[in-house]
Amino acid sequence: MKTTILTTTALVGFVAGAATAQEAAEVLNTYADIAAAGYEDSLTTAQALEDAVATLIADPSPETLSAAREAWLEARVPYQQTEVFRFGNAIVDDWEGRVNAWPLDEGLIDYVDGAYGGPTDENELAALNVIANPTFTLSGTEIDATEITPTLLEETLHEADGVEANVATGYHAVEFLLWGQDLNGHGDGAGNRPYTDYVQGEGCTGGNCDRRADYLAAATELLVSDLEWMAAQWVDGGAARETLLADEQAGLSAMLTGMGSLSYGETAGERMRLGLMLNDPEEEHSCFADNTHNDHFFNGVGVRNVYLGRYSRVDGTLVSGPSLSDLVVAVDADLDTEMRSRLAAAVLALGEIKTAAEAGFAYDEMLERGNAGGETLIMGGVNGLIEQTQSIERVVTALGLDGIEFEGSDSLDNPSAVFQ
Amino acid sequence: MLRTFSLCLAILMPVTATAQSEADITAAIVDDHILPRYAALVVETMALAEVADSSCQPGDPALQAAFHDAFDAWIAVSHITFGPAETDGRYFALSFWPDTRSMTGRSLSTLIADADPIVSTAEAYATVSVAARGLYALEFLLFDPEVSTAGEDAYRCALVQAITADIAATAAQIEADWTGTFAALMRGAGSNDRFQSPDEALRVLFGSLTTGLEFTADLRLGRPLGTFDAPRAARAEARRSGRSLRHVALSLQSLADLADRLATGDPGLRQALADRFDIALDAAARLDDPIFAGVDDPQGRLRVEALQQRVQEVRDLVSSELGPKLGVAAGFNSLDGD
Repeated sequence: MKTTILTTTALVGFVAGAATAQEAAEVLNTYADIAAAGYEDSLTTAQALEDAVATLIADPSPETLSAAREAWLEARVPYQQTEVFRFGNAIVDDWEGRVNAWPLDEGLIDYVDGAYGGPTDENELAALNVIANPTFTLSGTEIDATEITPTLLEETLHEADGVEANVATGYHAVEFLLWGQDLNGHGDGAGNRPYTDYVQGEGCTGGNCDRRADYLAAATELLVSDLEWMAAQWVDGGAARETLLADEQAGLSAMLTGMGSLSYGETAGERMRLGLMLNDPEEEHSCFADNTHNDHFFNGVGVRNVYLGRYSRVDGTLVSGPSLSDLVVAVDADLDTEMRSRLAAAVLALGEIKTAAEAGFAYDEMLERGNAGGETLIMGGVNGLIEQTQSIERVVTALGLDGIEFEGSDSLDNPSAVFQ
Repeated sequence: MLRTFSLCLAILMPVTATAQSEADITAAIVDDHILPRYAALVVETMALAEVADSSCQPGDPALQAAFHDAFDAWIAVSHITFGPAETDGRYFALSFWPDTRSMTGRSLSTLIADADPIVSTAEAYATVSVAARGLYALEFLLFDPEVSTAGEDAYRCALVQAITADIAATAAQIEADWTGTFAALMRGAGSNDRFQSPDEALRVLFGSLTTGLEFTADLRLGRPLGTFDAPRAARAEARRSGRSLRHVALSLQSLADLADRLATGDPGLRQALADRFDIALDAAARLDDPIFAGVDDPQGRLRVEALQQRVQEVRDLVSSELGPKLGVAAGFNSLDGD
């Protein structure tokens, strides 16, 4: 049976001809170009966020807080489209937890509402509140946090005590510092942190406004430097691009692994369906800002970008080139049609969630127990993502890539990594 | 031209033969591995709901025995997560674990504190958070020191009855979909849109095997192991009812059966797989630590790690030998992600 499979695969390569080899290299180049552009866009929008945060800290007001929030929302648009590069590219997967870890026990960072509770079975530091506590004990060691620096956040606090919910850095930590907890449950409204949380001296609310400002500045600075690093990995000669281009078959496999893993296990499974079935308003990807509809939508757009080989940048310019779609057309035009139509259907279904949310039906309201309309919307997105995953698996087979180990997910390609 | 044509013919015949044997393997697994296990789950969960109707207090021996039987039946089929179990998230409704944010205890406590009238019917109860549904929630109600004594006895009784009836209804829905439509789709792989080729059905079954092994190695064993510096005994699966190690053994038994059927036609590989599974099952049988409490001390930890390593060796053989024999790689799985 083994021989048969090899023969079939060889024949596919034979029929498709020499063009395939050349095209594969071009397809990988397009993919790397899209990644480079996506991370560069993520970087420039994060730099704009850093500027807006500096203005907020220098001159706290409703206007400067609102401008910082707006900058955060804009920064998420390109970043969410890059999540498709995470699975399949180990260099991205290893780094991703620094910038986009979720969900977080926000009581680690700052004050929380009484109903939040204290330490849990899973996390003794769930209510540490480092902003209010310049010194504290971590796994038996006395920690000096009198100076809040990027290094403290990154090396001491992030995933402290080996607990993933101790998220001290990245977009969602910044989100919490800009919005605060969303205390509206399933009702209208996002987090409502007052700008006075950043007022220095008299008028400061929430206590320790100086340390809160230091934390926000440090977290934003770290986000920018992390994105800077990743953008550099995808330019010509960068490590991510070099690894990708080194082996065409593995490179194509990485592209499809990213598409499938983000569609199925991550977005359809963990983020959307499980959140819906838990009826928990905190089971939203961006629970402080109520931006979850955009998170999911732009994940879906990112998956489609990879297949179609095109990405619309934040300045409106288009990055495009030879694509996976071109390769699939050459071996199975019907499958290409199926793949395209399912990608379009999933983006449309995710778009319906976004449209409803923008019209006032927030994602956390959709999650409410017994909310049939919300369930229909979210399950529409989930089902679209599951169906497109089945087509992605067919593409893997059609391109003769199913002999290649999927990689990128810790648990799949390096089981021991899970226990580190 | 002629040469190309004869080359095509030459490979056509083995492909046809292969497709036939693939279809046979799939049909046998559906009929002899999947359907009997889901049928058993329906029987056991219905029995559980009936017992709960008359005996709903946590300490009741009949209720506890029925709970264990139903949980055993679920673990034996819990690796078949695709199709009917995926529809409407039924898998999570039966089986919400791991619970990384400790939501099961909290959700149940809230229902009890509010004496939420949602427990009046199983249909209504099906709308509550999956953290408060299924076998893991029932375990809390029967065995957790706090939850099993919270609030009024009468309310907790109604809660036990709602949860067990909901579990039985969910199991019945999954089985009905299997016997009604999904089994036929799998047997007819290649002539329907869900499974466009016999390979696709086989890939899903192979994926169930690899994901099942991954779940047992990385979650059932990996979660309580944590790291050497921070072992997490409290994360052991179903530790309150003393079932953690039992789940490892039950899952390995089922996965061994599935692996054996997938290796049909290759006696050498069947034997090799059986040997590896036996070694792992032996290690489980010899481990005198039902809830992995030993992970806290270096000696005890070593024994749990050794069991995990035996499961890992099964995984290695499955991916290096069985996958290539079948000519399929596992597709995407639900454990991909954070």
